[in-house]
Amino acid sequence: MRKGKQRHRFLRRALTLHIPLLIIVGFALAPYIWTFLTSLTPEEDLYLSEFRYFPANPTGTNYLRLFSRIDYGRNIRDSLIVATSTMLLGLCITVPASYSFSRYRFKGRTALLAQFLVINMFPVVLLLVPLFILMRVLGLMDTYLSLIIAYSTFTIPFSTWMLTGFFNAIPKELDEAAQIDGCNRFTTLLRVVFPVALPGISATGIYIFITAWNEFIYAAILTGSNVRTIPIALQNMIGEFKIAWGLLTAGGVVSAVPVIVLFFFIQKQLIHGMTAGAVKG
Amino acid sequence: MKKWMIVLFMGLVLPGLIFSGGAKEQKAEVKTVRFWYHFDNPETSVKPLIEKFERENPGIKIQAEMVAWDAYFQKLMTSIAGGNPPDVSQIKLWWQPQLVEMKALAPLDDYIAKWPGRTDVYEKIWELTRHTDGKQYLMPLQMVILYLYYRADMLKELGLKVPTTREEFLDVAKKLTRDTNGDGQIDVYGFGIRGGRGGHDYWATFVLSSGAEIITKEGKSGLTTPEAIAANQWYIDLFRVHKVSPPTTPTDGFNEVIANMKSGKTAMTIHHLGSAKGLVEVLGDRISAAPVPRGTKGAWTSFGDEENGVLAASKVKDEAFKWCAFLATAENNALWQKSSGQISINKSNGQTKEAQENRFMKASVESTPFAGVLPAHPKVAEFVESVWPATMQRAFLGQITSEQMMKIFEEHFFGKK
Amino acid sequence: MVQAPRKRVDLFPYLLLSPALLITILVIFYPIVRTFTYSFMQYILWKPTEIKFIGFDNYLKAFEDPVFWISFQNTLIWIGGVISLQLLLGFCTALLLNQNFFWRGIARTLVLIPWVTPSVITALMWRWMYDGNRGVINDLLVRVGILSSYFPWLANDTTALYAIILALMWQGFPFFAIMILAGLQAIPDTLYEAAEVDGASALQKFTRITLPMLVPVLFTSLMLRIIWVANSLDIIYIMTGGGPGYSTHTLPVYSYIRAYKGMDFGYASTIAVVLTLLVTLFVSIYVRKVLRMEDRGAV
Repeated sequence: MRKGKQRHRFLRRALTLHIPLLIIVGFALAPYIWTFLTSLTPEEDLYLSEFRYFPANPTGTNYLRLFSRIDYGRNIRDSLIVATSTMLLGLCITVPASYSFSRYRFKGRTALLAQFLVINMFPVVLLLVPLFILMRVLGLMDTYLSLIIAYSTFTIPFSTWMLTGFFNAIPKELDEAAQIDGCNRFTTLLRVVFPVALPGISATGIYIFITAWNEFIYAAILTGSNVRTIPIALQNMIGEFKIAWGLLTAGGVVSAVPVIVLFFFIQKQLIHGMTAGAVKG
Repeated sequence: MKKWMIVLFMGLVLPGLIFSGGAKEQKAEVKTVRFWYHFDNPETSVKPLIEKFERENPGIKIQAEMVAWDAYFQKLMTSIAGGNPPDVSQIKLWWQPQLVEMKALAPLDDYIAKWPGRTDVYEKIWELTRHTDGKQYLMPLQMVILYLYYRADMLKELGLKVPTTREEFLDVAKKLTRDTNGDGQIDVYGFGIRGGRGGHDYWATFVLSSGAEIITKEGKSGLTTPEAIAANQWYIDLFRVHKVSPPTTPTDGFNEVIANMKSGKTAMTIHHLGSAKGLVEVLGDRISAAPVPRGTKGAWTSFGDEENGVLAASKVKDEAFKWCAFLATAENNALWQKSSGQISINKSNGQTKEAQENRFMKASVESTPFAGVLPAHPKVAEFVESVWPATMQRAFLGQITSEQMMKIFEEHFFGKK
Repeated sequence: MVQAPRKRVDLFPYLLLSPALLITILVIFYPIVRTFTYSFMQYILWKPTEIKFIGFDNYLKAFEDPVFWISFQNTLIWIGGVISLQLLLGFCTALLLNQNFFWRGIARTLVLIPWVTPSVITALMWRWMYDGNRGVINDLLVRVGILSSYFPWLANDTTALYAIILALMWQGFPFFAIMILAGLQAIPDTLYEAAEVDGASALQKFTRITLPMLVPVLFTSLMLRIIWVANSLDIIYIMTGGGPGYSTHTLPVYSYIRAYKGMDFGYASTIAVVLTLLVTLFVSIYVRKVLRMEDRGAV
């Protein structure tokens, strides 16, 4: 009896949880795996007339060439610098801003909050020429800083909104208690609210990081030979008359790895952090 | 007060951060030439050429940047509009009219007149690249001529001859389109048409050789004559009526067209020397080449070009030209083509044994007499990039007729009537 | 709430805001204002001598431009299709990931992969998978017996847009999954326990507790996502270039093509402005609602 019930429960769990989730994870992974399989296939085998799911002669040369001939390590380094700095700058700027939106009711609050959304709605490709001029005037062409600043244009609005939500979820009593304990308003944010909101802040950070990690068009226009991020390197594998499939797919597979590893280590905190903020919108 | 200062500091740090990166020192004695280029093969490098140049020309430094092809023109135009273009840039012929209109290119006639290497560049290239205002803005760099690729083994199997006229071509293409394994599905298509962006070369090969002209000698439209519309209809019918091209034709780009040749899905297509190596790797002797078939009024094939231009905004024009001239010199140009996979613009390179024995090179050379380019009109760039593909695709899908299609082209070049 | 003193204007909140405002004004405002003015100009990049103000001519032109209306309609299908699919799949994923099981951490991480894959790769891989001659999707469908022969998904004017919508669903559903998962985890267990005591069914618990508690999360993430999807163009452009014909032209794609293929910045800006107005209209409803909820004491 008991055994049957247990088996029934297991079956139910498999049907309502494990199997559907496996299908979804499979869906999420399938194109990535397909990319991976393509990257292991020698280029001349890609066009065999019979259809193969697994390469007959798998090879790792695409990965070797990626690092020896293309200098992909340098692209990864540049992307890491740009994405990390964008994340840090974005957070330094939006943490105080969101705290202000969350804790204070002041004149123009709604309008200011709304403007952060409106500026996010304009298609970025059209802003390229003025942005180019701006960077030239500032003397920032082809520097890390040009990308970091340019990326702020779309990360600031987004993270301001997200963080405002996270701060809203933290009880105001915490601030009040801190101020009674002798904190001024600035140290309240820094020493009391900031640590509590840290998970939410890291969640926002991950969002900024991923966005900056994958950005192409600003990088293509604003940087040149000095700074070359991963999307630029990948795009260079798509020529006028030829796509370097092997390198491109290998590069795509590799580029997801650092972010995935990063996420794996902070995912618990991220979920917890998002929980705190998102619920209050 | 302290807290205010901290906040104030935060407000001030940013502008400080921004302006601090601004100062870049320039050394007076070494002149730097900024050079933009694009290669289809990301693994090749121009480094050896640059090192050679810098050895031969002390005092000049080449700062080369490989720009992704998809973003190339966009980046070039943005940099010109933004006031910070490179000194030398690789340029496509069809961009020239717009760039000249913007006064973005420096005329090079005076430099070229003094350059001894000019006679080693094919006359035809000078002729094709000279702008309509009579000035020479571009320094030749590489060329390709489109020709017909065909599966020699399939033609032999069916006892077919390499087509030389439009009618023969259609006949061969129809016969090659067949079900090889008896499952009721077509396995091989006679001709791989490039219907997506970049396919105007295929279209022009058949339509401009059979009575259509984009701009006539008198400067009028030659697109909507009955002959032109019929020629266009003939081309549309290849896909819609005779179905000699795969169902994916409307969106096929070079990648699909070449992949279909490699996998044996198609038996003929049009492309150039750049894909020869890859095709031979997969197909070996089974792939061969010939000049494109003639239309009703003669033959036309696309002269694919690539030049270097010196930007008008450059402050180091003399040095910039030196670099262009260096790359257009036989020995260096041959090195460049090793990376680009295309053909040298130098006569002396064309006489090597290797060049004469190669069947693909031979097809290129035999096509030279009728190789042409699209007219030097500022609207050609947009025609190639967006008007032609969208309109051709609509015609392939049956949304518009041949006549409507040609009227759209006419309107694009000559405005609404 | 920390109440600002009534008698004088409290500058502190403004000071906290100043860096964010400063950088947005410095970096975004100037480009946006400039682009906005282009929409009232004849501004073709290669005709620098013919740049002039033409009032609302570009807007009138858009009104009469059939391609504009096709793009407009496609944009609506695009936003509606992508958002609803992403939301649906993201919601299901979040509900599943919200449970306790041994491979939860790995599942959460793996589900994120579509989001972190660069768009260039996403677009080209999907294009390759959809390929009408050698695509894995066609091969699978034929093997299973759903199709009798390969279908040119992206070369067909009725399927192309939907094929791309599916690719974008893949790319974007992890965002919703993570956001909604966060919302789910915030719902106190005590609520469910109480409902259980009252004898509520699973469905009742879902409709009476889960859904209402999730509303704020859904609002924020939907709004941010709509803005993002409305403006996204890289995947469409790489997959079909807006074709075949105009069948995958959306407003951002059309605007991009006008700007960088036609070099017509005046008209391209007009399309962008119209798109921005459209999204603003759409989103303002949300924003007002979110702000009202906030003021109603949810905070």
